Amino acid sequence: MKTVYRTALLILISLSLVLFTAAAVHAYSTSANQTSPAGVDKANQLTETPGPEEDTCLQCHMSGSFTSIWIPVLRWIAFGGAGLILLFGIARSASVWKQRSAWTPITKRAAAWVDERYQVSDFLKPILSKPVPEWQRRWWYCLGGLTFFLFLVQGTTGIMLAFYYKPTPAEAYASIQFIENEVLLGSAVRMIHHWSANGMIVMACAHMLRVFIMGAYKPPRELNWVSGSLLLVMTLAFGFTGYLLPWDQRAYWATTVGTEIAGSIPVIGELALVFLRAGWSITSLTLSRFFALHILILPLVTVGSMLLHFIMIRKQGIMKPL
Amino acid sequence: MAEEKQEKSVPFYPDHLTLEAKVALGVGIVLLIIGLIGLFIPVGLGDPADPMETPAHIKPEWYFLSLYQLLRFIPETLGATAPVLAVLLIMIWPFLDSKQDQTKKPVRIRFWFSLAAVIIILALTIWGEVS
Repeated sequence: MKTVYRTALLILISLSLVLFTAAAVHAYSTSANQTSPAGVDKANQLTETPGPEEDTCLQCHMSGSFTSIWIPVLRWIAFGGAGLILLFGIARSASVWKQRSAWTPITKRAAAWVDERYQVSDFLKPILSKPVPEWQRRWWYCLGGLTFFLFLVQGTTGIMLAFYYKPTPAEAYASIQFIENEVLLGSAVRMIHHWSANGMIVMACAHMLRVFIMGAYKPPRELNWVSGSLLLVMTLAFGFTGYLLPWDQRAYWATTVGTEIAGSIPVIGELALVFLRAGWSITSLTLSRFFALHILILPLVTVGSMLLHFIMIRKQGIMKPL
Repeated sequence: MAEEKQEKSVPFYPDHLTLEAKVALGVGIVLLIIGLIGLFIPVGLGDPADPMETPAHIKPEWYFLSLYQLLRFIPETLGATAPVLAVLLIMIWPFLDSKQDQTKKPVRIRFWFSLAAVIIILALTIWGEVS
């Protein structure tokens, strides 16, 4: 098992090294191209990335512009400190090597320290030691877990994007251009957010089909099915609200048509339309509303439903097929 | 619960969680590679939004495309109401079909039904994409 972890860690580290190298090369090659500040067309301003006067701390975000004297000093302190810690560790290990039967790893000692004070294991042990039957270790039981994993990826990359995104019609488009062109690894994070969103919908649908075909929704698991279908609706709502945020032609008109279709539902249609658009037409209020739904309300509701979903499945177990 | 004790099983932690983590790690590596591609071919943006100018071809995201395509053939009121009713039907489905399976037959019926639904939705989506 340890070798698996070690291989996985090695793959992860080497991949991130490749990613960072590629980012550095990319940043270097783009910064070499962008040396024509003179003669910027005023009419083209919207499609250009924000200039230095619009950004309060441009050098904080741009790669290759850390030129202050403190950076090498801090680097020496950081790496030197790490080296000292490593040396201390080697010396310490050598000194306890003779009595290695008495040695416990630092993680175990830390866990014991916390456990002595708060008795975490009393709470965790029944949860973690629950037996999983062999027949449950098939790939089609992984689909729901993968949806959850992709949701976590969405949360992480979404928070990263939210640091730079500006939810106003005047600035949304330019801020996404800023993310893609200037922010370190910005286009990678946006790409992952984009494709992981699509993957999450695919996985959620696949999970739902699996549950439906096997008949796992039957009593006593009705409420789990209800919460799951609620989660699917939430996922689609995430997609719908997130699509408007770039504020380009595609986003604007897709939202126009989508809310129009919602508006043609009898009785509640007009209410839904006004609620979605925050008025009769799509304005900056709509963008603010979709942004708030996308990053605050939907995540909260989704996390709540997921908790219920997981607690119920833990209580009842996975349905055993015939 | 009693019979579960007798069948062959592994503990949730660390054995089963490790398996799940390995699968998640695989997906994570795929996502990292996608991110790597994104550095050179970004997602990109269309033209900035202009409320005065309607583009020629408006298409929603692919997961709404089949519904959008359906709207071309059925009246808009029905097309807008049907998905809402479908979601409501899905939500109350376990209360309608609550009899336990005794044989494999209902599983097979549900499989073919799902396959048909997926094929119809896929066909509508592809049709919407190419038209």
